[in-house]
Amino acid sequence: MSAQTGPAGRPDATDSDTTNPGVTNPGVTNSDVTKAKPADAGRGGPANGAAGRPDTKSSEGGVLNVFSHGVLVIWGLLVAMPLLWAVVSSFKDDTEIFGSPWGLPSVLHFDNWSRAWDKANMGQYFLNSLIVVGGSLIGTMLLGAMAAYVLARFDFPGNRFLYFLFVGGMGFPVILALVPLFFVMKNMALLDTYHGLILVYIAYSLPFTVFFLSGFFKTLPTSVAEAALIDGASHTRIFFQVMLPMAKPGLISVGIFNFLGQWNQYLLPTVLNVGDPHKKMLTQGLVALAVSQGYKGDWSGLFAGLTIAMLPVLAAYIIFQRQVVAGLTAGALK
Amino acid sequence: MGSTSEFNRRDLVKRAAALGIVAIPAMSVLTACAGAGGGGGDKVEKGTKSAKNPLAVNESAGLDVVIFDGGFGDKYAKAAQGEYTKAFPKAEGKVKLSSTQKIQSTLQPRFNGGNPPDLVDNSGAEQMDFGTLVSKDQLTDLTPLFDAPSIDDPSKKVRDTLRPGVLEMGQFGGKETWVLYYAYTVYGVWYSKGNLQKLDAEYPETWDDMLALCAKAKKRGIAGWTYPGKYPYYFPFSLYPFIAKIGGAEVLRRIDNLEPNAWHDPAVKDAFNAYYELYQKGYVLKGSPGLDHLQSQNAWAEGKALFIPNGSWVENESAKQIAKDPNFQLAVGPPSSLSSSDKMPYGTLWASGGEPYIVPKKGRNSEGGMELLRIMLGKKSSQNFIEQVSSLTSLDGGTEGITLPPGLASAQQVLKKAGGNIVNPRMQDWYVALQKEKIGVGAIGEMMAGRMTPDEAIKKIQKYADDTRADSSVTKYKR
Amino acid sequence: MQHGKYRFIAGFLAVPLAIYAVFVISPFVQAIYYSLTDWTGLSSDMKMVGFDNYARLLKDSVFWSAVGNSVTLLLLLPVVTLSLGLFFAFMLNVGGRRRKKAVIGGVRGSGTYKIVYFFPQVLSVPIVALLFQFAYNPESGALNALFKAIGLGQVQPDWLGDPQIALWCVMAAMVWANVGFYVVLFSAGMSSIPKDFYEAALLDGANRINTFFRITLPLLWDTVQTGWIYMGILALDVSAFAFVQIMSVGPGGPDYSTEVLPLYVYQKTFRDGQAGYATAIGVSLLIVTLIFSAIVMRLGRRERLEF
Repeated sequence: MSAQTGPAGRPDATDSDTTNPGVTNPGVTNSDVTKAKPADAGRGGPANGAAGRPDTKSSEGGVLNVFSHGVLVIWGLLVAMPLLWAVVSSFKDDTEIFGSPWGLPSVLHFDNWSRAWDKANMGQYFLNSLIVVGGSLIGTMLLGAMAAYVLARFDFPGNRFLYFLFVGGMGFPVILALVPLFFVMKNMALLDTYHGLILVYIAYSLPFTVFFLSGFFKTLPTSVAEAALIDGASHTRIFFQVMLPMAKPGLISVGIFNFLGQWNQYLLPTVLNVGDPHKKMLTQGLVALAVSQGYKGDWSGLFAGLTIAMLPVLAAYIIFQRQVVAGLTAGALK
Repeated sequence: MGSTSEFNRRDLVKRAAALGIVAIPAMSVLTACAGAGGGGGDKVEKGTKSAKNPLAVNESAGLDVVIFDGGFGDKYAKAAQGEYTKAFPKAEGKVKLSSTQKIQSTLQPRFNGGNPPDLVDNSGAEQMDFGTLVSKDQLTDLTPLFDAPSIDDPSKKVRDTLRPGVLEMGQFGGKETWVLYYAYTVYGVWYSKGNLQKLDAEYPETWDDMLALCAKAKKRGIAGWTYPGKYPYYFPFSLYPFIAKIGGAEVLRRIDNLEPNAWHDPAVKDAFNAYYELYQKGYVLKGSPGLDHLQSQNAWAEGKALFIPNGSWVENESAKQIAKDPNFQLAVGPPSSLSSSDKMPYGTLWASGGEPYIVPKKGRNSEGGMELLRIMLGKKSSQNFIEQVSSLTSLDGGTEGITLPPGLASAQQVLKKAGGNIVNPRMQDWYVALQKEKIGVGAIGEMMAGRMTPDEAIKKIQKYADDTRADSSVTKYKR
Repeated sequence: MQHGKYRFIAGFLAVPLAIYAVFVISPFVQAIYYSLTDWTGLSSDMKMVGFDNYARLLKDSVFWSAVGNSVTLLLLLPVVTLSLGLFFAFMLNVGGRRRKKAVIGGVRGSGTYKIVYFFPQVLSVPIVALLFQFAYNPESGALNALFKAIGLGQVQPDWLGDPQIALWCVMAAMVWANVGFYVVLFSAGMSSIPKDFYEAALLDGANRINTFFRITLPLLWDTVQTGWIYMGILALDVSAFAFVQIMSVGPGGPDYSTEVLPLYVYQKTFRDGQAGYATAIGVSLLIVTLIFSAIVMRLGRRERLEF
């Protein structure tokens, strides 16, 4: 079974060289760090790549190095152990989980996995989540960017009011809206539909997105847009062809925030998406597993389920890690 | 809102959204809806009444059932669903059975919208408040069901086939019976005969014996008791009948009725002191205050503690852990005698209905819902339930000819022994918040963790009870 | 031009605003209306009671415990999470040995750390809560087993069962679940700070700790602020709810030591059939959140930068 992805299982655990240059390069090449010192930005950092072999040592560096490694390793263990433990437990039966919580499974219980797969309907739910989150992520980014752009760069009566209307939404406790929202959805025949959920996810992601992106748009230079305007480009064209590409780092950052939020959302689907068992989100399946262990004590099934749910996301992160980090790098300094 | 205007409104909303002129005009349109539920609940036409169909179920109508998918699962209900379609072949394919652990978040909008299911197993952490359902006229009176002939014996009415007390539990101060409690739960002190034998002991019939046994166990490094500290309201399962045994069933009745000073009865104090002594002498498994129900049951099943206050569902819930020890021999005991002056005899027991089923008033096919209950109360479905989930049903008897698992057999025995001395405190159905988070977590849990003395706990509980009595937002009941 | 501008503004705002108004604003307006009624949540039958629910709030001691705990979370969760995130990110990027031609350096294997630290992000909140519940099990959980193993057999806390530390236990789980994201976020920011900045500072005789406060933190301040708001919302809303509901005694206990506002809303709605009162609690939660957002945004007002 090669799917045991602990930190130890990663074949390229020493690859600091490969990851880090990527961190610095793509992100900083364009305008974002310009606020600091553009000239240096593109240099690509030997700084935190391990390119320089540790042949020179300064005492301060040595002490700090030991200290920082110590701290980092401890936190790494704190983070990795529970997950590793859950993955290992997913191959045990329930008695083993409790009887010898630290031991390795005596027999690999793949039946846990198949049970969780069937019970939580993982394949279907994963697809559902992918469809809904994919749709809503695109929608959130597009609509959020449109609203944020207009609110950040245009003066018009009511601008502040609308801005605070959006941003204030960050403070709305979702739990409060559930029942009224249900009826809104029902009257529009949107219950138990992908597009209904997508719309709701978009709506509840807009506040943070607008907040984040309007801050971002404000920091972008106006000169390019003005030049384009003089050349006769329409506002719409300027937005899509000039401003959006310039805002890419910010879009990536907020996109990641939104992806994590929407992927893990479970309160909204619990109420709005219950009619059709084939349309459930992955989180609903997982929560059902988590709750039902409370009645049936099926821990091994739960751990198998969470491992199944975790692996693709983890794999996606590891694969796209550089892009994610690059996006964040660029977005972080505005 | 009638259904015609609803159509127009929906249309309007769609158009408004499409035109992008949403905010204010649409807002007035979007509101009103949760508030005005009237429509939707058109009843199906009744069928023809006959000997085989005493409730006049529409034979071809659909049926919508929602089951709580908890410790009992939903297999037993699916089996009954099969029986239903066998009886009404025309309904084949139209009987929809769904199960959830989140009863209220799933069903609340449907109740508000006036299109609830036809039958609901209203159980679990998100049980809908019965008082509210009754006072807001959301339930169907089940009297026709109880007056219908039993499915096994047409000469008997359903009401005469039930265990004593079950029917009354479903009444909320009036003549109507709103709820059918399908499972029948025996509460008490659960233990392993095998583990007691290892200590050369039997279940202690007196509290002194209990303490002596705990002392003996302690010497061997075994705790006397454990409990789910995360849900300390498991303690009442053995504590309440203990109170009744000491001071008479009357004490519990006064407590249920929220009478002033009901908790200051000496019997309450004696019982609390006795339990507190378990803590003081170190007879409670260390760490219990931080365990949840499964964790405590696991510790108990592994023999780390002898006793656990629980209900008969524990046999099913902890089946896997218990099965590890072939000599476990699960059993349940009634509260031990505190002294010879106890008002009720040894054997006094808390047993009552669980798994409450309701037939919502605005469901389309209420007769069908009741008919399914009638089927479930038949011997075949009842035995199926017993065999699948090791728990009794409200059908009196029905266990003939099947081998009961050890815990259930023991429950059956103590029931028999208790005879008429069965108490049925209602706090947990009537005042959930008071029973669970206030009395349970706020006082008993604190006391058993040693952070509160029995006197302090009783004082605090009395205040909680008084507050609840004074709280006009809580519906009150009397028995 | 003006005409075109307004058409453009209207065109761009229409769809987002429409979606937002329909799915967010309108339900909340309705919720505020419900907070003035005796709505049970189980029937459409209700009547106006004016501000009775709010008057009741003032006297409800559970409500005030919940406010206290929610505000504690709100104040501490962002600070702790972001500080740890910054600390680890700094360690990753600047904590390494000095090397030839580089005044500062990241530790070896920082890429691996960034992957490992991100692990919790791929788990759903309920799962994290369950895992921690396992670890906190006083009787056979990892923490007490660890204490025993290192000779602290006497120290066997009840963790979630102890009202003194229960809230901290829940908070620790929330921190655990969120730090990783900020490590990645912040270290991304740090790695794009030009190295000359550090060189200059080090030439001035600053040590690395100084450089953190003089260079790193100020340059990352915007990001920190965004994270602050995001964490603040988590502390008040769904995330806190899920953690407390799954992990805590009761839930909300022991003795209301972990009761938080969203959980109280949930209990009043879904257990006690008092949805009207619950929405009043929710509206007060809304007020707390709005005050918080206003303060954070006021503190961090962004200048419009021109280039």
